[in-house]
Amino acid sequence: MNPTAKKILLVEDEDFIRELYAKQLTKAGFLVKEAIDGQSGLDTLKKEQFDLLLLDIMLPGMNGLQLLREFKTQNPNSKMITILLTNLGQEAVIKEGFELGAQAYLIKASYTPDQVVNEVKNALFGNQPPPPPAQ
Amino acid sequence: MDKPAKKTLHLKIALAIIFSALLPAALGLFIPLTPPFYILIGIGCSILSITFLFWTLKPLGQLIKNTREFAGGSLNIRADIRSGDEFEDVGTAFNLMVDKISKTLQQLETDRDVTVSEKNKLNEILTTLIDGIIAVDFNKNILLFNKSAQELTGFSETEVLGKPIDQVIHFFADQDEILSKTYCKENFNQTAKLIGKSGKQTRINLMSTQVDDQTQSHLSSVLMLHDLSREEELEQMKLDFVSMASHELKTPLTSIVGYLSVALNENKDKIPAESLQLLQKAFTSAQQLQTLIQNLLNVNKIERDKFTVSNESVDYLPILSKVVEDLRNQANQKNIVLTLKADNLQKVFADPIRIAEVLTNLVANAINYTNPGGKVEITTSVSPTELITTISDTGAGIPKEAISHLFTKFFRVSNLEQKGNKGTGLGLYISKSIVEKLRGKIWAESEEGHGSKFSFTLPLATQTAGFLDRNKFTAQAIQSGSLNY
Repeated sequence: MNPTAKKILLVEDEDFIRELYAKQLTKAGFLVKEAIDGQSGLDTLKKEQFDLLLLDIMLPGMNGLQLLREFKTQNPNSKMITILLTNLGQEAVIKEGFELGAQAYLIKASYTPDQVVNEVKNALFGNQPPPPPAQ
Repeated sequence: MDKPAKKTLHLKIALAIIFSALLPAALGLFIPLTPPFYILIGIGCSILSITFLFWTLKPLGQLIKNTREFAGGSLNIRADIRSGDEFEDVGTAFNLMVDKISKTLQQLETDRDVTVSEKNKLNEILTTLIDGIIAVDFNKNILLFNKSAQELTGFSETEVLGKPIDQVIHFFADQDEILSKTYCKENFNQTAKLIGKSGKQTRINLMSTQVDDQTQSHLSSVLMLHDLSREEELEQMKLDFVSMASHELKTPLTSIVGYLSVALNENKDKIPAESLQLLQKAFTSAQQLQTLIQNLLNVNKIERDKFTVSNESVDYLPILSKVVEDLRNQANQKNIVLTLKADNLQKVFADPIRIAEVLTNLVANAINYTNPGGKVEITTSVSPTELITTISDTGAGIPKEAISHLFTKFFRVSNLEQKGNKGTGLGLYISKSIVEKLRGKIWAESEEGHGSKFSFTLPLATQTAGFLDRNKFTAQAIQSGSLNY
């Protein structure tokens, strides 16, 4: 395992999507940890440091924004990059996410897994060429 | 046929008098009588006559009794007089009169029962009607106020009957009050805000009919108040449901697209060509499904009035160029020449993402509906306040009847060859909504067999326009059309 590989926490309750993103991110060379709801995501964040947080907003129990708020309150100086995942695209929600410090949001339905991986790379390393479109 | 009136009673009285007057005299003629005897006989005859007369008058007492009983309310009384004289006639006449009166009274009672039952029926109907019914007279005083009207306005019947309707109930269309002289007119039918007791507000549909014959009933107008809040609630529930359902659909779809995309990208070499084709078709369909759902959501947002566009001063040329480049592959695949003729474009007021959607929709349509070897051209022109973008193609054109329906929901022109076109009929409806929200116009010109031209306008971002927009009040005034610039 590459010691300098970036660590990503993926919080997503939909099993299929979470497994797919985790697999693709791991293939791309990242260290990926998964959480299936807000509370376990928050617990994992307390125990370990991550370079990037891929955070679904619609989660059972504590939702993504609540998790983010909790985390920011306890770690105001964290340099962890947060990318919000959602299928909703409601402006109020996204606005609140940005106010809580998220750097980007992705509408899951509009992005293939490759494009998601690309966005993650963009966020961590700067501009990336777009992946080839799926045939 | 009148029977000749009996005179029997007259006869009896005459006889009695003659008997009592003449008998003593006749006796005196044949028997010598001393005055005391005369007097005795006279008294005797009188007593006899009086007794006879009293007996003759007995039916009178009977009649008086019967009449009194009838007047007292016993409608079944009948006089039974068989004296053979005028009293019998009176008795018969009395019975006829009693019969007639009885019948008339019975008829009146029956009529009254019918009327009461009809009135009760109508009252029941008025009470159970869900719509409020208010009837007013010529002076606009309230004559009738059913239960639903009471519930809608919060007033009880006693609080409003006889009062002028304008004093108690108010109707508003937006900010202006609608007066009774306006709504008490035939064919008045529009939605309004009802203000009742203590400011109670309800959205209703107000409909009015005029009563023709005012002499009978004093009614002049009848108003019907239809409560819209339930309907508006249902409509809102419907829209919310569609929104929720569409979002639910997105989740498994994201998985499908995701997994297929990875399978196709990474395992191309490991999958036999035939299977690869099958997967690719599934992937294309899944992507189309995504577009459809997104379109449905956009339409739903528009209906819920939650569809927003930002309005900023943007550089138009880069947006145009990007859309053209994104679609160049599609055009090349059909051997269609795609050209953009625009340079030195001024800035316009638009939402860069949304207007790109409009351009993509129009250009993609042009490509889809044009046969291989054809041309799609995008040009711009400028009017004093607007920038006009036109997308023209050399496709099959659109039949005249279809042109007025083009921008409606779900409309697809049916008789055109649509090879490779998997549109949903929502694109133009959404494009129209976007353009109109940006205060532009969109239209189509086409002739069957001679291609089509789709054009839309965007306001130019001139200095003054920019200033006006930043002022919230003038912006609203412009939007409502009451201030033109």
